[in-house]
Amino acid sequence: MYRIRFHGRGGQGMKTASRILGTAFFRQGYEVQDAPRYGAERRGAPIFAFVRAARTPIYERGIIRHPDLVIVADDTLVPVPAAGVLAGADAHTVILINTHETANTWRHRLNLEGPVLILSAAEEVADRATLPYVGAACAGAAAALIGEIPRADLEAALHDELGHLGQAVVDENLRVACEAYDYCAGQAGIVTASEALSAEQWAEPEWIDLPFEQSGVSAPTIHGGLTSELMPTGSWRTMRPEVDYERCNRCWWVCSTFCPDSAIDVDEEGYPHIDYNHCKGCLICVAQCPPHAIEALPEHGDKEGGES
Amino acid sequence: MNETRFKNVKQLPSTHLLGSGNPMCAGCGGLEALHEIYDILGENSVFVNAAGCMTLLAVYPFTPFRGSWLYTAMASAPAGAQGIRDALDIQLDKKRLAKDDDMQVVVLTGDGAAYGMGLSVTSGAIERNLDFLYICYDNEGYGNTGQQYSEATPHGARTSTSRVGIGFSGDKKPLFDIWAAHKPAYVATVIGAEPLDLARKVEKAKAIKVPRLIIALSPCPTGWDFDPKEAVEIGKLAVKTGIWPLKEYVDGQVVHTKVPSKRLPVERYLEKQGRFAHLFKPERNETLLAEIQAGVDAYWASVVG
Repeated sequence: MYRIRFHGRGGQGMKTASRILGTAFFRQGYEVQDAPRYGAERRGAPIFAFVRAARTPIYERGIIRHPDLVIVADDTLVPVPAAGVLAGADAHTVILINTHETANTWRHRLNLEGPVLILSAAEEVADRATLPYVGAACAGAAAALIGEIPRADLEAALHDELGHLGQAVVDENLRVACEAYDYCAGQAGIVTASEALSAEQWAEPEWIDLPFEQSGVSAPTIHGGLTSELMPTGSWRTMRPEVDYERCNRCWWVCSTFCPDSAIDVDEEGYPHIDYNHCKGCLICVAQCPPHAIEALPEHGDKEGGES
Repeated sequence: MNETRFKNVKQLPSTHLLGSGNPMCAGCGGLEALHEIYDILGENSVFVNAAGCMTLLAVYPFTPFRGSWLYTAMASAPAGAQGIRDALDIQLDKKRLAKDDDMQVVVLTGDGAAYGMGLSVTSGAIERNLDFLYICYDNEGYGNTGQQYSEATPHGARTSTSRVGIGFSGDKKPLFDIWAAHKPAYVATVIGAEPLDLARKVEKAKAIKVPRLIIALSPCPTGWDFDPKEAVEIGKLAVKTGIWPLKEYVDGQVVHTKVPSKRLPVERYLEKQGRFAHLFKPERNETLLAEIQAGVDAYWASVVG
């Protein structure tokens, strides 16, 4: 059975990637599961989608814990613990990262036993949430690395999944998907299937058993307010607003009023301060600041913040 | 009641009550309106939330509110509000709750509940003269489930259930008029992009006991398909084009609180949103654009006279 996990951000098309790959497998006669996994999270938030494919009926359910292939659409997610990109990866797991850095850099950085490949990001965009057609590229790359899916089936699957969006969208996605497919064709078959586990082989996860407790103890009533502030929604951000205090004219806190997330506080002197733990990077403040004193910088760019 | 404490924008709150870290989308116009509203209402508010996007605000054990929050089924929020109001009244009667600690009971629902499923329950609550404030964040579709059309979807908008042709062929239901026809104490429209107008209306509503209802048009980057940073600009354009009239029903009269002196063409608002892209590409749909413009013109002709 093949187990493939796609990691990206909400909006980058990971769900679509898993659908395309799943459909391509299906066209090859495989039994397939594909599903996205996200909680109440939105554009920019780390999400993943996964595909299982086998020649025999699939009895496994739930998220994939031990993937054969992990595809990372956005390399800024690798160090984000909540994204769980490397969860369950072992010597057998192929990691493919969409990145501008080299495979060696990532091999060194991640210190993994398994193969690390890169998908050379086609073009750099300042805002990672708008990476164009990255979902199609990921599906194309995955299809090639598995080595079981002819190009024609990838193309047909993409038609099946995106046809309703019109020919122009299909064409552009096809171009990108096929480019990625050809780019990875040299490594065809590097991803190998691993055994389908039977119920007898099921091993208990390494979790800690907690004794059963009354719901009042295990799920206590919460009287404190503002507990949402424990959630670091700043990890959703792909662009970072920064205030130029020389330019800020201490207006009527336009940025703070319009910030939907209450992530901009104004100090006693009237200067705004952005709470980067919670700023989701919507950039309304950048768009609305009357003296244009707030600038948008790529969250993961170089330290100088050059947008090049 | 005519004296507002918000004479100019400098008097708007610069600190905020609503907590950060909630899972609404980046650039959510509904969240923007809610945080502005909450600042004016104050901490002594208890929210009754019908199923919708904002259900996700308070997912155990997390909440961005400073006080209580009750989750109800989609059609039942005003019924939940009745229960809470009754409980508070009993506590007040029995002197177990000091008058100063009394709370505003606030219903918070999206347009799916307000315009559709929850409408009859709201009608009943107004009829019973329930002391509550209804806030509808109206993003013109079932946003939490992928923007299927709702009864608040405007004519010509594409939704995930109106993907072909002109998009949604129906019309946005006139909820303001339907609510006002019940003759409640107060009905208003607001938008987060006009915070001063919003603050004055919420302040007014806060001072009244009995039914008060507010609809906040909520530009939705996810459902309307635009860049989140445009959310406020699109909200301002909704007002400047006359698509979203800011008005209130008070003492039996409808008053427009912000009449655009020279209305911008509706296409300035429409062209910024992916859900209306088919009106401009591959070629302009002049008939539909003219139809939408004519609808807005007719509205303003009827009210400004």
